[in-house]
Amino acid sequence: MKKQILGLLLMTGLMSNGSIYAQEVPVEDTIPATVAIIRQELDVLKRIKVTGYLQTQFQYGDSTGSAVYSGGAFGAGIDKRFMIRRGRVKFQYDAPLNDKGISTSQYVLQFDVTEKGLTIKDAYAKLTDKWIGWFSLTAGMQNRPFGFEIPYSSSLRESPERGRMSQILFPGERDLGAMITIQGPKTSNWNWLKLEAGLFNGNGAPGAGASVADFDKQKDFIGHISAIRNNKSETVKYGLGVSYYSGGYRIDVDSIYNISTDAAGNMGYMLANITHTIDLIGIGTREYTKRQYIGADGQLNIDWKPGMTVLRAEYIQGEQPASRSSSASPNSNQAITSNLYNRNFNGAYFYFLQSIMQSPWQVIAKYDWYDPNTDVTGNEIGTTVVNGLVKTNATDLKYTTIGLGLAYRWDANVKLTAYYDMVTNETSNKLSGYTKDLKDNSFTLRMQVKF
Amino acid sequence: MKKIILAVVMMGSAIFTNAQKIVIKGSDTVLPLAQKEAEVFMKKNAGKSVTVIGGGSGVGISALLDNSTDIAMSSRKIKMDERMKLQDAGRAYKEVIIANDALSVIVNPGNKVSNLTRAQLEGIFTGKIKNWKEVGGDDLQIVVYSRETSSGTYEFFKEHVMNRKNYASSVLNMPATGAIIQSVSQTKGAIGYVGLAYVTKEVKDIAVSYDGKTFVLATIENAKNKTYPVVRPLYFYYPTSKEAAIKPYLDFIMSTEGQKIVDQVGYIGLK
Repeated sequence: MKKQILGLLLMTGLMSNGSIYAQEVPVEDTIPATVAIIRQELDVLKRIKVTGYLQTQFQYGDSTGSAVYSGGAFGAGIDKRFMIRRGRVKFQYDAPLNDKGISTSQYVLQFDVTEKGLTIKDAYAKLTDKWIGWFSLTAGMQNRPFGFEIPYSSSLRESPERGRMSQILFPGERDLGAMITIQGPKTSNWNWLKLEAGLFNGNGAPGAGASVADFDKQKDFIGHISAIRNNKSETVKYGLGVSYYSGGYRIDVDSIYNISTDAAGNMGYMLANITHTIDLIGIGTREYTKRQYIGADGQLNIDWKPGMTVLRAEYIQGEQPASRSSSASPNSNQAITSNLYNRNFNGAYFYFLQSIMQSPWQVIAKYDWYDPNTDVTGNEIGTTVVNGLVKTNATDLKYTTIGLGLAYRWDANVKLTAYYDMVTNETSNKLSGYTKDLKDNSFTLRMQVKF
Repeated sequence: MKKIILAVVMMGSAIFTNAQKIVIKGSDTVLPLAQKEAEVFMKKNAGKSVTVIGGGSGVGISALLDNSTDIAMSSRKIKMDERMKLQDAGRAYKEVIIANDALSVIVNPGNKVSNLTRAQLEGIFTGKIKNWKEVGGDDLQIVVYSRETSSGTYEFFKEHVMNRKNYASSVLNMPATGAIIQSVSQTKGAIGYVGLAYVTKEVKDIAVSYDGKTFVLATIENAKNKTYPVVRPLYFYYPTSKEAAIKPYLDFIMSTEGQKIVDQVGYIGLK
């Protein structure tokens, strides 16, 4: 007991002002050297950053088994679920600054750990020129530099998920490739302008347990040029960007369909002219599909009395080759083996975010649409066609989503979000099961802890 | 048992004592003022403790973000990106201007140049003017000292004196204002900029002109009568949640006595 009391007293003494040491050691003599050593050690430690976040959530769907885009479709017979949406841990090393004040290399490794398993999200190395710090090369598994929403971190994004368009066109957001970034250092007057351009495998980032190895020799070009400025009083920040995607993938099937009109004037898919039989030619000489997107994005942040207001918008249109049952981009190490359907698409999203003055509350409103086939609309979809054409189907329906939510920042680490997605699909009286709006709204209650 | 109770009481007392502590981090420019105010404040308020740590305005605002300071000192206004981060962290904050500061341009005392125009300063700090003979001095290479990029003074000088032009890559960035004073005092061809309160006899103050005709030295009088052009406000940023804890110290700074200290330390008082 005496020892315990002594221990307590010692601890108390240490907590008050450390005077026990001060009486015995000439601290003043050792302070500069000690500080120098601590600084050196801190400098090394500061180059290694470990960050992460965990998003756990409860979701309630409008109907069982609905194919929602707010965290993946509900399983058959399920309309309520708990899930770990994201469990990220990121390790980052930045090389020490050189004599020009430039960190010339960076190493990043990020994992995602959820109930579905372990996935590598980021694994890349970044080199920056050691002379002026304007040019960087990033190689490995990384975010695709297209638009704003794709590379924007899920830990910062206010809505629980990216828009349907972003999820369909860029599943997993990331891809394997090499990218060049041109941007002035923070001290440069040109720091507001950024150009990113790279070549990528084009087959996305499949989830846990799936290989991300490429299946063809085609490499996709992705480029994004963006400008971000502030007003002089630093109360308004605005950004604009333009993106371009040019790629495709190997065609491993005989039948390719393009949208066309039959003799009665109805829209359907017509078999493209076949120039060869796939089975008779070598895999290295097969043709490639054309996958091409162009997009524009804009952001506006205003800090004023009612609180921070944020507006964001992005529009993308292009040509998307995919299967009959899905317009999604490739997201595996296998080529599409079912017939290929080329579609012209467009889509957009709009965010309105309003913080309530300086309180921890934020109102979230989001509107997005994705039209996988802009050549057909409404009752045209599913219409019977003649002359050997194949009729359009549910994959060609347009979806719009209105999301409303409220976020509460518990503290710097914790954010709670309640969010309701109202999804409206295009209807067609020629399409069984889609003559009226589907019951696929969903409610998400999420807790995020970030460190 | 009595001893245990005593130990627990002492521990509680130590924790309670820590709760009276105010931690202030940030701008090296504001540091001498916050320090002097803290010294007088602590003498008048037994049991209150104020710890002041420098590092630069950016460091102070980062500390506000990660909740490791009660007050962030800054020699520049908070930036939009910093506001967004604070908002995202759910951290409400308040801004107070506690004083103004004149930014002095200093050279080595052995340098015969006494006057420089804004355009000449821009030329020197952007690297276009490399020799003192180009501005009426000796045939001597100019050695330019600046603060690090996290410094509010670095940004203020770039925006208001250099017309937002980039610093030359040859500029030597110093981690603290004291290091600039020391380097300029020891290097014959040196030039740098510091808050007026830092100016000592070991360096020479330069008279600055924005119109190319009237050259004015950085003094409290010239700053107050607005003839000296390079003057900026100094800020305290603090979380609204800590307002009650820091109010006595803040009230003291804003009082007549506190503002007298502002003038004594070499800054420009608000009253």
